[in-house]
Amino acid sequence: MKKRILTFALFVSIFACKNDEKKSETLYLNHVGDTHFVAETDSTGFQPCHPDLAYQYYNFGGSARFKGEKPAIERYFRERYKAEENQQENGYFTVRFLVNCEGKSSWFRTEAMDLEYQPKQFHSAISNQLLQLTKALEGWTVAEYEGQTYDYYQYLTFKIENGQLSEILP
Amino acid sequence: MKYCLTITFSLLCLQLFAQVNCHMYEAGSACYKACQEAEKAIRHPQGSKESQQHFDTAIDLCPTFDYAYFEKAVPYLKRGQFVEWKKLIDKAVELKPEQHLGYRGWCRYQFLRDYKGAIEDIERLETVASYDIGQSVNGDYHLIIAKALCYKALGQKEKAVRIIKEQLAQEAYVPMPYDYLHLGVLYLGLNKPENAVASFLKQLEINDYLAETYYYRGLATAAMEDKAKAEAYFQKALAFYEEGKHLRDPYTHHADRIFKADILAQLAGKQQ
Repeated sequence: MKKRILTFALFVSIFACKNDEKKSETLYLNHVGDTHFVAETDSTGFQPCHPDLAYQYYNFGGSARFKGEKPAIERYFRERYKAEENQQENGYFTVRFLVNCEGKSSWFRTEAMDLEYQPKQFHSAISNQLLQLTKALEGWTVAEYEGQTYDYYQYLTFKIENGQLSEILP
Repeated sequence: MKYCLTITFSLLCLQLFAQVNCHMYEAGSACYKACQEAEKAIRHPQGSKESQQHFDTAIDLCPTFDYAYFEKAVPYLKRGQFVEWKKLIDKAVELKPEQHLGYRGWCRYQFLRDYKGAIEDIERLETVASYDIGQSVNGDYHLIIAKALCYKALGQKEKAVRIIKEQLAQEAYVPMPYDYLHLGVLYLGLNKPENAVASFLKQLEINDYLAETYYYRGLATAAMEDKAKAEAYFQKALAFYEEGKHLRDPYTHHADRIFKADILAQLAGKQQ
């Protein structure tokens, strides 16, 4: 009897191990980069116009869909971003967000990495400043196609060198 | 309507996958099956859950299938999730450096202005490839020209000029759409307006649909003290710009790209 139990246990453990050898399945939302409303951080005053359908900024044929184009974005950040003297940091800080069919933005999500593309945490004097500036930025154009308006995801990436804002992308 | 639009955009995305040839793997082998999974992946919109899951299955079946890492990486790049992009594309490069170094280098430049990283990749590709290293994935530049643009951005303008001129002098090389434009802008930056104008004239022989060519020709002409002609070029640049005739890319901005505000500033007589 003991032998049978042991054999059975061995049999089960072999299959359990075999299943564990397969890489764990990654849980995906509908599309890479999708996000949902988070009560702790997102404004309740913002609504996507199409809850189940959001495109990407590049689906509408041009980067930085903004009133005044890229120069306006550059001017906005360069006039407002204050590099702290003692923050000699380097890397990239990305803010990704949704722009709805009224041109309003919300659902801000951030990612930061160093110059070797490894995850990094910037000093809050940099990250929080850039995030707040991005949240306050107004002027995103509405995505329109054949008379219909759509929500789209947009991102801004800030290249930081020695604490200074060296590039704003895309 | 929503369904039709989704289909339209889906088809647009489908066109952006590189093709894969499964016949290079032995039929029935794990990597052949992985390739078949990848064929399923590219039937779904790029970046969709279904597409990414098929690529994951392909990688599970054949962890050396570089194509799956490469294609799985692409939507992360396009959507600004660069940490994940780099992890995946690094794996593709590790498995097949000659196949993916040029792409990674170009993307480091295009999306992140990672000039040093782009140069590293392109120069490494030059050492491992015994053939022409080819073009950027968007077809706008030869990778050698892209490398020159990186050197320019790092402040090495003379080196950038040298690299571009050497490439243009290659017997079998056909100039690409913006080579002479960028060369001209480099000369402008080196205070050589006559050389700049010569480059812009060569650019016009290649194509005449860029506001940038006229804008920078205006700057060069102004530098040579002919303000009236400069203004005429700025006006032409403005007309072109308003017709949508300027450098354009769906994902990012080209180097030396100008905007309406730049042209208006010149016409208003402000210094850039």
